[in-house]
Amino acid sequence: MTAEAPALTASAGHGEGHAPASGHAQRGISNPILGMLLFITSEVMFFSGLFAAYFSTRAANAPWPPDVFKDILDPLGPIIIATIILIASSFTCQFAVWSIRRGDRKGFVRNISITFVLGIIFLVMQVYDYTILFSEGMTLGSGPFGTTYFTLTGFHGAHVFGGVLMLGVILYRGMAGQFSAKHHDAVEAVSLYWHFVDIVWILLFSILYLL
Amino acid sequence: MSTSPRKRPASEALVAGGVVVLLIAIVGIIFFTGAGSELYPPKPATVQAKEVASLYDLVFAIAVAIFVAVEGLIIWSILRYRRRPTDVDLPPQTHGNNFVEVLWTLIPTVIVLYLFAISWQTLNSVDYTSVANGQKPDVQIHVLAGQFQWQFEYLDANGKVVATQTKPLGEGGGMAVPVGKKVYVTLSSGDVIHAWYVPRFLFKRDVIPGQTNNFEFTVDPAEVGQTFRGQCAELCGTGHNAMQFQVVAMTQADYDAWLAKLVEAANATPVPPPSGAPVLALDAKNIAYDNRALEVPANAPFVIAFKNDDPSTITHDVDLRAADGTTVVANQDPIAGGTTAQYSYPALPAGTYQFFCSVHPGVAAMTGTLTVK
Amino acid sequence: MATHALSPAAVPAYRGGLYEWLTTTDHKKIGIMYLINSFVFFLIGGIFALLVRTELAAPGIQLFTNEHVYNEAFSIHATVMIFLFIIPMLAGLGNYVVPLMIGAPDMAFPRINALSFWMLPLGGILLLAGFLTPGGAAAAGWTSYPPLSERGALASPGPGQDLWIVALILIGTSSILGGINFLVTIFKMRAPGLTLFRMPIMVWTMLVTSVLVVMATPVITSALVMLFIDRNYGGSFFLPDKGGTAVLYQNVFWFYSHPAVYVMVLPAMGVISEVLPVFSRKPLFGYKAFIFATAGIGALGFSVWAHHMFTTGAVFLPFFSLMTFLIAVPTGVKMFNWVFTLFRGQLTFSTPLIFAIGFLTMFLIGGINGAFSASVPIDFALQDTYWVVAHLHYVLFGGSVFGVFAGIYYWFPKMTGRMLSESLGKVHFVIMFIGFNLTFFPMHMLGIKGMPRRIADYASDAGWNDWNLLATIGGFMIAVSMLPFIWNVFVSLRNGKIAGDDPWEGNTLEWATSSPPPAYNFDRLPDIRSERPVFDARHGLNAGHGHAAIAAGGHGEAS
Ligand code: HEA
Ligand code: HEA
Ligand code: CUA
Ligand SMILES: [Cu+2]
Repeated sequence: MTAEAPALTASAGHGEGHAPASGHAQRGISNPILGMLLFITSEVMFFSGLFAAYFSTRAANAPWPPDVFKDILDPLGPIIIATIILIASSFTCQFAVWSIRRGDRKGFVRNISITFVLGIIFLVMQVYDYTILFSEGMTLGSGPFGTTYFTLTGFHGAHVFGGVLMLGVILYRGMAGQFSAKHHDAVEAVSLYWHFVDIVWILLFSILYLL
Repeated sequence: MSTSPRKRPASEALVAGGVVVLLIAIVGIIFFTGAGSELYPPKPATVQAKEVASLYDLVFAIAVAIFVAVEGLIIWSILRYRRRPTDVDLPPQTHGNNFVEVLWTLIPTVIVLYLFAISWQTLNSVDYTSVANGQKPDVQIHVLAGQFQWQFEYLDANGKVVATQTKPLGEGGGMAVPVGKKVYVTLSSGDVIHAWYVPRFLFKRDVIPGQTNNFEFTVDPAEVGQTFRGQCAELCGTGHNAMQFQVVAMTQADYDAWLAKLVEAANATPVPPPSGAPVLALDAKNIAYDNRALEVPANAPFVIAFKNDDPSTITHDVDLRAADGTTVVANQDPIAGGTTAQYSYPALPAGTYQFFCSVHPGVAAMTGTLTVK
Repeated sequence: MATHALSPAAVPAYRGGLYEWLTTTDHKKIGIMYLINSFVFFLIGGIFALLVRTELAAPGIQLFTNEHVYNEAFSIHATVMIFLFIIPMLAGLGNYVVPLMIGAPDMAFPRINALSFWMLPLGGILLLAGFLTPGGAAAAGWTSYPPLSERGALASPGPGQDLWIVALILIGTSSILGGINFLVTIFKMRAPGLTLFRMPIMVWTMLVTSVLVVMATPVITSALVMLFIDRNYGGSFFLPDKGGTAVLYQNVFWFYSHPAVYVMVLPAMGVISEVLPVFSRKPLFGYKAFIFATAGIGALGFSVWAHHMFTTGAVFLPFFSLMTFLIAVPTGVKMFNWVFTLFRGQLTFSTPLIFAIGFLTMFLIGGINGAFSASVPIDFALQDTYWVVAHLHYVLFGGSVFGVFAGIYYWFPKMTGRMLSESLGKVHFVIMFIGFNLTFFPMHMLGIKGMPRRIADYASDAGWNDWNLLATIGGFMIAVSMLPFIWNVFVSLRNGKIAGDDPWEGNTLEWATSSPPPAYNFDRLPDIRSERPVFDARHGLNAGHGHAAIAAGGHGEAS
């Protein structure tokens, strides 16, 4: 979702009940950010579908987790570190946004780089976590517990991966000096997405590991 | 903007009005006379269906009234408000009218709330079951649906299965019920979703794997001796259309006798196959025989050791008919999935025959050739 | 008729080579590609319908080798009609007219717009590719309920079902991106003076539709993804014997697919709401009430999904019944608004108006017979019978398709600069209208007399033969009615009467630019002080502001 400013804003734009006037400035949130918010809305609905399936499946299968996998999901295992890393990356992402709002390009690049790396670490840890689960015999095919666990975390992981790609793009553009205090809609949009991915994880973690 | 009062000859209004009246008359004649009976449900056969049918009549009358009113208004406007060459000035530019708008919000609201209320009332009696209300039904039947046939298990008062009707429709299979009695039905499926549907009961209920549904009905005593067509109403695969059954309404005495016979047949020790007769093995799995060409010696009885490897809800058998597909030569009782049977057949003159599963007559994988020589 | 052009000679806008069309990001060209693509899929879906009708003309299995092929035919018929014809067709109309109607130069994200479009033919090809695979195309109905759509030997073993899933995910993604694009365009790119409550109804319906698309489509994506995991990676979401729940799919599916039926009809209602006022020379009766009713339908639409599941024994019946009944109220408000727009107007029976009236009369039947199903005990009798098939075609064909044709006849002059032939248009209407009613009205009788849907064959003594034969004849009549239409388009593209900017004396901004409009849409916008800026300009109602650039149209009213 990249910014594509309309080629011709002269006759278009906002305008709530104003007398026609030419050369009016854009007001309110920008197109890319609104687009991203709507995209996130649709993503929320996608995950809602999966969560609904999770709860319905869980309600139909007692005990949950099944005896074979009784203690396999340990909230205090490596997963807590991955969780902390992802939450931390949300902060560094926001620091990057604040930096570029101030016009601090160096701070922006630094913070985005950290976010980018933290995102990759999270992904690596998730893959590692999967290998442990696989070795204990839990897979997509091992009944409702495995199916829901891997579907939910897998789709979340795919979204983290997408987010990391987006971070890579704005990191690259940031290093090329394309953002400034005035022009950084793409940064705002990506950070929204990254926060969304983070919040989904917090929900997932609470539901899968704590509840 | 100017608006000139419109002067129309009264005759035009008369013509337009006449057309509307005609429309109403035609609709009225069609719907409330013989021709319109096509839009009414078939004669309801159960106590519950009667209530649904009278609900339908009411809803139908309201629907026709709404239809005629709105359609009449449209036709009236079309006929009455055509633009004439003299219509140079704009018509009155009405943007709305709060009074009529509130009116046509409120009136439909009242209508739908009324419709909801009477529907709910009927629903409560259609969905009533003795079991849910702590009483005992008169008859309990457990229906098993499987691709692509129905089995009916008759339970005694303690919920124990006393007899199972597995015969397919073509061989008189189906569901027998006493009239005037509360019949409590439970539904289960082992494969995909089916639906138990009898048009003259104005009722259907889905048969869903992993979930047991139930309902209750009482056949109108006036329907004694009738046979009702039943059919699966949920797409369930290639044989969906063939998944038919029937419900036979009997007097209590006939029903008891019928059930006793079924029980007796179930408990009878099967006639042992003549010793020394050749035994062929045949398996059925995934609605297909594992062997579709069999051979036996002529003029000697033989036995087929039949195994049904499908899920328990799917029944099969091995019947014989002449090569031209017409005359049935031997007729066996179907067995449920996971069971075996020793089917014995009489001595046959040399020739080719067809063997087939009478539960799945349309399925090519369940027909084969039997060569007798 | 006014032939005054705002911008000089903009006609060459649609010449341009193939390459230009393939790479374009102009919403008008993309819109036209949407229309053509969707129409081609309409013919494809129609051919499957004709196969279905031919098989059903008489009892017995005649045309197909077995029932499985029949199941493929109606499954692909419905999937194509819904996901590749009606939804994209309406999105295409919206794509063409929404930026014009709000005075914008293009959609907010032109390249994403092109991407949304190109996903559609790709999805269509994937879907139809199912026929080339062993086991054939998807055959579990357009609803594809598991366990039948799962990978069992007796369910849907072949890759056809997987292609169906992938195609639908692709088409869904296209819809979502399109919906986001419409919302940002509508919220952010309106011309100065065009407040929300001055927007044309067509734009309002696209707005509500887009909200439904953005909120509901991802939910079906999640259902499809789960089905795909079940089929290919050993998942157990919908497999009861592995601990899953079969009806879970139905809940998730209908959570999308009920709102989706409004995605399939609201834009058509928008078209009607543009056509009726123009051809009765009156404003839409109750403009604001109409908007609230549209929003109300959208909101209520999310709370009625289980009316497709009344017979499952797994849903709370009174709630869903009540909500379903209530939807009749806002829809009724619209119906009366339309009728009162005609009432006391000066009606000109041009083809768009005739199709719009076709919509009113037929959608009314479809709405009312839908209300029968809202009554749970009656639905116990009607569910999965031909009554439902009658309902869905009366709303989808009698409603949406008539609306689509009204829109095409209405905007064709704007898109091409030439008028369609009125007489061919009327021939088209008459044959289609009669054929439509012959096909689908008898299905009420079949349904109430107990003929289940989705069957390839029926007993010859069930009393269904005559109605089925009649329906088949009607189906072919509909097909015949396409010929004058196609002929009309081809002939008029070359020889049609030159349309001029504003052939119908329109109300909304698209009539303020040339036909076809220049690439950037507008040289100059009229002053916008109401929901009918071009009407105002024609009648000098916004004079004195220096923006009234529109010449008064045709009949020289004494204004
Ligand atoms: C464009 C698509 C569209 C639209 C607009 C609708 C509109 C409605 N639909 Fe329909 N429906 C479908 C497409 C649509 N439907 C499809 C495709 C299916 C089948 C899916 C499948 O299984 O394959 C289906 C199935 C379907 C069912 C399930 C049937 C079954 O399987 O058992 C039900 C049940 O309640 C239903 C109800 C309604 C209702 C109440 C409306 C209402 O919105 C209608 C409201 C309109 C009016 C009522 C007319 C105007 C109102 C007035 C003039 C006011 C006065 C009226 C009254 C007081 C009643 N529909
Ligand atoms: C927008 C949606 C839409 C449209 C427009 C149609 C259009 C038609 N439908 Fe469809 N239909 C559905 C949506 C739609 N349908 C849905 C959702 C189902 C439910 C499926 C399910 O159960 O899963 C269904 C099911 C359905 C059935 C029930 C099948 C069954 O349950 O067994 C039938 C049966 O008659 C049918 C018939 C028709 C007919 C005759 C048309 C006609 O209008 C078609 C008219 C024909 C044409 C338009 C073709 C013209 C083209 C030519 C003649 C070729 C010319 C070629 C060139 C010029 C190159 N439909
Ligand atoms: Cu069983 Cu259809
Ligand atoms: Cu619905």
